[in-house]
Amino acid sequence: MNKEIKKWFSLNLGNKKQSNYGCSESKCDKHRLEKKEDGISQVFDVNMNRRQAFKKITAGLMIGAGAVNSSCSVVSGEENKEKSQIEWEEYFKGNYKLMSDEEKDKTVNRLVRSYELRNGKKLNISSKGPEEDVLFGYAFNISKCQGYMDCVNACVEENNQDRASQMQYIRIHEMNDGKGLNFGEADDSFYHEVPAAGHFYMGTQCFHCDNPPCVEVCPVQATWKEKDGIVVIDYDWCIGCRYCMAACPYDGRRFNWSTPQIPEQEVNKNQHYLGNRLRKKGVMEKCTFCIQRSREGNNPACVDACPTGSRIFGNLLDPKSEIRWVLANKKVFRLKEDLGTEPKFWYFMD
Amino acid sequence: MKLKLNISILLLAIIMISCKNDQKEYHNIIDKIEAKSTDYKRDSTFSNNQFEKSDLVQVIDHETQFYVENRKNRIESYECSECHDKPVSQLQTENLGKKAHWDIKINHADDKTMSCLSCHIENDMDNLHSITGETIDLNFSYQLCNQCHNKEVKDWKGGAHGKNISGWKTSRVSKLCVECHDPHKPSIEKRWPARYNSQMVDERN
Repeated sequence: MNKEIKKWFSLNLGNKKQSNYGCSESKCDKHRLEKKEDGISQVFDVNMNRRQAFKKITAGLMIGAGAVNSSCSVVSGEENKEKSQIEWEEYFKGNYKLMSDEEKDKTVNRLVRSYELRNGKKLNISSKGPEEDVLFGYAFNISKCQGYMDCVNACVEENNQDRASQMQYIRIHEMNDGKGLNFGEADDSFYHEVPAAGHFYMGTQCFHCDNPPCVEVCPVQATWKEKDGIVVIDYDWCIGCRYCMAACPYDGRRFNWSTPQIPEQEVNKNQHYLGNRLRKKGVMEKCTFCIQRSREGNNPACVDACPTGSRIFGNLLDPKSEIRWVLANKKVFRLKEDLGTEPKFWYFMD
Repeated sequence: MKLKLNISILLLAIIMISCKNDQKEYHNIIDKIEAKSTDYKRDSTFSNNQFEKSDLVQVIDHETQFYVENRKNRIESYECSECHDKPVSQLQTENLGKKAHWDIKINHADDKTMSCLSCHIENDMDNLHSITGETIDLNFSYQLCNQCHNKEVKDWKGGAHGKNISGWKTSRVSKLCVECHDPHKPSIEKRWPARYNSQMVDERN
């Protein structure tokens, strides 16, 4: 059976006699049809054992009781009813990867409405998909980077990262001249006048590998590689097991140990479902090449913010793009190339 | 004969099966990029962008084509000849006071290499001038830089040096050399980082 279609709901847990492994053509087709089904049937049409069933029922009951309580209550207002209706539907929605365009629109609208009910402000959440003939790539000039950290600031503001834990997707490593790329001796929390003599600077973040190990290990397929090469996370499907964090050889992923805190006036309201929309406690997040910007044709925030021009972003499938010129004309390298992860993030020197 | 045929069929079958994993269709990302490359057309109308095409100047090189913003439109007191209607030596004697750019000090290479007259010429203040006395338009000032920094200009034309300000999808608009490097003191000064992550330090100690 192809890995692609081995979803948790098709594993047929509980009922071992009807094994799905080594399925015939017709059976596989059936699974493909199942993919199209909506969120509720994804959750309900699953064979499960008694223990799982109890868990589901209890969780469902708790939400349901809340919903029924407020929706049938004479005291609570229309807004509360709507809130619990949204909560109910959000709870039973499916994996984003399997949603139809209509379902994507619906969940986006629910998220926008939910934020409006809570904060009175309108978000602009996009669910824009990948474009044909586009594969994003990134290049980083280690001779140019001076450690000014403007990229980190821009990233935090753009991507609504938790201010309380000072979460940052980008790390800038201050390396010692003459010691090569020695991450062990590098300092990624420096604070002194830069560039410091005898040092050079190197930024790391998610490299959007073409063969991403984080995607491979996710037990619920909450993270995957999009057609345009961006590795994304469905924050509502992530169970927070942090396997991906352990699997990433580049320290590219971050975990929300607590509910992210962002002052209301600092929330970037221009969001993407797979990008910078507000996260919750217990889910993974990481750089998405600013999917909300890059899918609209803009550069990621770090590229725009860099005062030195060390950061280059573009379409790898466009032979005339700047990134392709760098690959063709500069001596480029990537980190841990021998792992076969095929990062789409190249380093080069002047 | 039959055995040979059987073996070759078997071999063929093995090869076919072993290559059938569509996840690993390409050996590496470079193969994939090369195989899938198209003549992607970047949007040259700047429809979804902050730029007005009329305010851009096209840089044409035999390899690349891109744009820079019209510099002359943005220099505050252009044209220079509006004030510089007489030779500098004469203006200096007229006691006009400190009106404009009186504080410029050249900190660019050394005295043997650079003086005001390496780029400016007294009887044509509105343009720049190369070593050979050729006129260079202020919008194309990179041609002047190219006299010494030809490697940097080559990288800039290719896209490895400098800064793309239009995004990856529309035609490329780059910053001119002088938009980052003050031609009179081109090196970029040291400063403090924009941010300090105290949490990270706390967690590690």
